Amino acid sequence: MKNTSTLLAFAMLIGLVACDKTIDSATTLPYPETSLESNAGNWKTYQLVSNTEIPVPAPEAANSAAYLAELDELKNIVANTTEAQKEAAIFWGGNGVARWHEIARNLAAQYNVPPNYNADGTYPAPDPANPTAYPRFPFANPPYASRAFALLAVAQYDALVAAWHYKFQYNRLAPYRYTAEINPLIPENDLPSYPSEDAVVAAASREVLKFLFPGEKPLLDEYSTEHKSSRLWAGANVPSDLAAGDSLGRLVAAKIIAYAKTDRMGQANNQAGVQSLRDDATARGITQQWHSLDLPARPPMLPFFGNVKPWNFNDSTKVAIRPSAPPAVGSDAFNTALKELQDLAKNRTRKQWEIASYWADGVGTYTPPGHWNRTASELILEKELNEIRSARAFALVATAIQDAGITCWDTKYYYLLPRPTEVDRTVTTSTGIPNFPAYTSGHSSFSSAGAEVLAYLFPDHTSELIALAKEASESRIYGCIHYRFDCEVGLESGKKVAEFAIERGRNDGSE
Amino acid sequence: MRNKYLLFWCLVSLACTANGQSPNDGLMMPKKQLCILAQYANGSWTEYWEGENKRENSNLGKFVAQSYMLMGNYGLSKRWNLILGVPYIQTKSDSYLKGQQGIQDLSLWVKYHPLEWSTNKGALNIMTTGGVSTPLTNYVNDLLPLSIGLRSRTASLRGIFNYTFNFGLYTTIQGGHTWRSHTHIDRDSYIFNNQLVYSDEVRVPNVADGSLRIGFIKPRFQTEIWIEKNACFSGDDIRYNDAPFPTNKMIATAAGFMAKGFITKQFALQASISQVLSGRNVGLATTYAAGCTYFFTVGKKADANAQ
Repeated sequence: MKNTSTLLAFAMLIGLVACDKTIDSATTLPYPETSLESNAGNWKTYQLVSNTEIPVPAPEAANSAAYLAELDELKNIVANTTEAQKEAAIFWGGNGVARWHEIARNLAAQYNVPPNYNADGTYPAPDPANPTAYPRFPFANPPYASRAFALLAVAQYDALVAAWHYKFQYNRLAPYRYTAEINPLIPENDLPSYPSEDAVVAAASREVLKFLFPGEKPLLDEYSTEHKSSRLWAGANVPSDLAAGDSLGRLVAAKIIAYAKTDRMGQANNQAGVQSLRDDATARGITQQWHSLDLPARPPMLPFFGNVKPWNFNDSTKVAIRPSAPPAVGSDAFNTALKELQDLAKNRTRKQWEIASYWADGVGTYTPPGHWNRTASELILEKELNEIRSARAFALVATAIQDAGITCWDTKYYYLLPRPTEVDRTVTTSTGIPNFPAYTSGHSSFSSAGAEVLAYLFPDHTSELIALAKEASESRIYGCIHYRFDCEVGLESGKKVAEFAIERGRNDGSE
Repeated sequence: MRNKYLLFWCLVSLACTANGQSPNDGLMMPKKQLCILAQYANGSWTEYWEGENKRENSNLGKFVAQSYMLMGNYGLSKRWNLILGVPYIQTKSDSYLKGQQGIQDLSLWVKYHPLEWSTNKGALNIMTTGGVSTPLTNYVNDLLPLSIGLRSRTASLRGIFNYTFNFGLYTTIQGGHTWRSHTHIDRDSYIFNNQLVYSDEVRVPNVADGSLRIGFIKPRFQTEIWIEKNACFSGDDIRYNDAPFPTNKMIATAAGFMAKGFITKQFALQASISQVLSGRNVGLATTYAAGCTYFFTVGKKADANAQ
């Protein structure tokens, strides 16, 4: 039977195609420094009072016996580098700052699972003192992740500003500038290599991430050790470059962690205070208030995250820029917005579903702040920014995004607007309903803040970035997670927040 | 008597294993004979296995998947059968997530019956089936368990050993392997094996299945009990309190019962029930199905000896 044979052959062919089980993932290759940024040691820091606040001792001179011994040691290391070590040199040699943000996104995604309920209907709370016991600490929800990316970025940035100061003060170049016998595996440059910017980034990132994800200490140590060692394998640093960098990065991180302990995040999950939020809202005439739609009802997510210290403005500014009240439940404007969702729930197109799903960034993902952190990372790599320019970009974006989150959470618990599905149970969603009030949309706030700051940093991408933020915002309407006014006001609010970070960027000494 | 009965897709998994469970019996259609099956199935569960941990989820409540299956089996010759099937599937739960519905995957199998040893007591039949399937619509595959399928192309091969005594008792042992292609989801990052993957391309594990069937078959009546196992070769577990995902290592053991009776020579009714007994990353599903089969000859009856 000729036809049958053809069919069987077809089946086999499909079988072979189906057999290929590899998934490609992108790798970034190291790129050369386009600018040494010799003035970056004077850029404005976030938490360091000055660029010499953390002392770094002078290195041994390049012609000293101690340094020559280090060079010999390095020659020996480079000569005996294994293939795996060469791969590590390339892996970390691309952009260490971005690499650690990638690690942070990975951790955020893994820890972004809400705790399950207990048999008695209560919910266990993650315990930072016992991070590996269920439920693991932290629950890396969007506000937590926004703060994590900001703390990481600020630690990297402040530490690199200090490092740049010492680099150009001491001006000891890379080892391959002192001997022809070392051919580095990554592009050469004339950036002074003491203290090592990679060790600074590895140590600052490691310490801050250990604070944020205390259950991952062994893994973070492993990454940090490999990152630092990779500089030896690459022939790009001598051990004393790394030791000085590690020390500086660690001490700057300690300052950032001390800040984080007093940024009021510790009180953000004060569930005992929720009733007072409700009473305040009632006193302002808001009687139809948000309730958890989880079964059993879950305590609201971080009801006092709106009180966390913003990076780029103060508390009174936060209150001053708080969006005005949403349409009251049952008002004409409210019903119009609800009607749009009732229709969408019945007739959501596949394209709308795709957009809602693409931007959902829900449970088990790096969250919307992580999504924009990834976009920032992609632009940074596309433009081949060096370490300190990368750190500045991440810091401006991440602090703006956290500030947007703070403003949004403040607004959410101020107005306590119910989710569409709470008002009308027939409004079925395409993704999980977040466990906090609707107005304003977190996605819109985070996205707008991220896109606006990125547009400032990468002006040739402006229209594309603003369009992405708009799509992210509208995705929440398509998903029936948000009313249109939640999203529109969220976008405006995020843009307003971004202006503070952009203003800072214009005056930080880097332009 | 070699009528084809079709016991299809049994909704054992959280959503579905998406591998056609049909062409795994020990029966063939005679040349130029066509049988059409229309079947309704309803599978539901409230408990499921998150990895190996059995649990309920009050936010999901009861999950129900209903399917309407249309299948055709045509005798190309005495030894070659061609089988086609397509289901329409509808899912729902007690959650606020929108239930899904739509036409799922088109499956095509070729069944070959090369060997038969007859004695005065009965006959041993050896058969093999090769199949392919492809999604017919761009359904949402990243909303498990509500997704109607994984939107993966598949190819399968199976071997079937059947012994039928002349008085009607039979047993069928069959085993198959299904290769499943990567699928694409609407987002471009996801967690697999506790690592973030930056891609919209998702690896769907291959799956093996096997079953043991014992039944009794007469010209007007057939009944059967079976036990079967489906097991993915690789994949990860559903993370604690997270949703299932196409990469999950789904494993299920189920037992079932089927009865079929002919109302006329051409028209038969059938019903079945199956129960998942144990599993991993699947629902503890109970599935019942009811359907009717219509047999007829396409063109001139060619072979008077067709049994």
